[in-house]
Amino acid sequence: MKNYLIIFFLVSISVSPQTTSFDFYSPENIKKFADHLFCEADYLRAIEQYGLISKDCTTDFKVMLGYSLLNLYQESNEIFKSISEKSKFYSDAYLLSLKNSLLMKPASVSAQAIKSFDSIQLNSFNKLKTISMLFDDELSISKDKFISPFDENDINTVSLFYDMKTKPLYKSPALAGVMSAVIPGSGKMYVGEWGDGITAFLATGLLAFLAYDNFRADHTTRAWIFTGLGTFFYAGNIYGSIASAQIFNAKINFEFNEGLKLFLEQKNYFLPEYDFCK
Amino acid sequence: MTSVSKIFFILFFILNVSYRTLAQNSFEHQFNFANELYAKGKYFDAVTELKRLLFFDVTGKFSYEANKIIGLSYKQGAKFSDAIHYFSLAELNADSEEEVYEARIEAIKINILRRTTERTLALLDELRNDERYSDKSDELNYWTGWAYIFSDKWEKASISFSAIVPGHGLALLCDSLADDLYNPTLAKTLSLIPGAGQFYTGEYISGLISIGWNVLWGYLTINAFMEDRIFDGLVIGTLLWWRFYSGNIQNAEKFAVEKNLEKTNNALQYLKNNYDGEKP
Repeated sequence: MKNYLIIFFLVSISVSPQTTSFDFYSPENIKKFADHLFCEADYLRAIEQYGLISKDCTTDFKVMLGYSLLNLYQESNEIFKSISEKSKFYSDAYLLSLKNSLLMKPASVSAQAIKSFDSIQLNSFNKLKTISMLFDDELSISKDKFISPFDENDINTVSLFYDMKTKPLYKSPALAGVMSAVIPGSGKMYVGEWGDGITAFLATGLLAFLAYDNFRADHTTRAWIFTGLGTFFYAGNIYGSIASAQIFNAKINFEFNEGLKLFLEQKNYFLPEYDFCK
Repeated sequence: MTSVSKIFFILFFILNVSYRTLAQNSFEHQFNFANELYAKGKYFDAVTELKRLLFFDVTGKFSYEANKIIGLSYKQGAKFSDAIHYFSLAELNADSEEEVYEARIEAIKINILRRTTERTLALLDELRNDERYSDKSDELNYWTGWAYIFSDKWEKASISFSAIVPGHGLALLCDSLADDLYNPTLAKTLSLIPGAGQFYTGEYISGLISIGWNVLWGYLTINAFMEDRIFDGLVIGTLLWWRFYSGNIQNAEKFAVEKNLEKTNNALQYLKNNYDGEKP
């Protein structure tokens, strides 16, 4: 019995320190905690925790994805450089790097498809590459070819973006200027600024009349003041009409780009969903 | 029970107790470590360590305190939505009515800081109508006063503080500021006489300039009408005199609003730096 007690005692002593004190910072627990943080969308802390343990292809990709979700695209693409082509996440990382690049600098994707893409990834790549052409100044692709990678749900929207890009509803700054030179305010009305157009027409007309009326009544000084003011209004209205047309066109471009970005965000840039939290 | 069995039982008991104590110590140590980080102002790290504790602590022993300190850490980083989220979790994990109350008050303070006054007042009313907290009316009035301070309603704030005790220090400050503030409507009304609104807000030079412009354009307008130059009179009157007259009214209102903003910001700054009582 004595021997039994001694064995029991020794075993207990040797085992208890390992089993009783919880090690929060063992690599296994750090990884569990990092995964938990990642699933809670606390990406910054998750990345910090992944940095404390030895890396593998999954953690590398999760760090890359985390940076991207934190809008730190440059950092995300830096991680991509360290991901091996042999990694099982290389194709996903490749797609994600294209998305990051597009978010950093909207421009058409010049990269090529890679062999390791599966059919879903290839489909995503084709959609992303095609839609990114809309960020270029000009589109040199037929509509049928442009919309071909997209499925039924997106085809109408993509088709609309194509039309808006190829036939933008621009206003001609030169025409606006000429119109305002002929009839003051008409250039503004052409751009759609009816209130400003009518005001410019009335103000220029009023000043012209005042100048004429004062010349007729021999109030020369006052007449020249109104002539100067009228000329200023007239010239300003021509300049304003040209500027309005340019602003109108810039607004069209801005709204197009913002609409496109919103659409891409809604579609997650056609990237497959990564669910590490199931 | 034989003596050997007794010894066996005692040893088993000691080992069992030490197992539980050591395990508990690990978590308590982690909690204390996170608290130290919070006390040192390392809020990001404090949140990380508390989240780590909460993730591994299946007993839920630290849930209330840890969630509350996470909320306070987020508050320090001005991440108010996150702070509210964790105060709500603290409330859900509270073990007593007092803890529920504390978690709710912390959430109320966040709402005060982000000036969601209606929400703040609704939360305060909820507590006020809760019989469990009938003895907390002074504290609830106190935070109601602060909610009004942050929503720029100094007279209402004064009423709330006075409900705690007549002549409350904060009530006196609120009254003093309320008296000191300009009335933008009065400034506008006084400006019906050009320059008067500016004089009311202490902007004497601006007031004199306003008088000058209005006298000049008024004279030219009236002069044109008197000389039967009706069209000139109408043009000068509408395009110039009226423009300057209405501008003078808007200007006076703008001065009143700007000066009030400056005064209230100074008051908030004063409270932040010099008031020793509890602040949101």
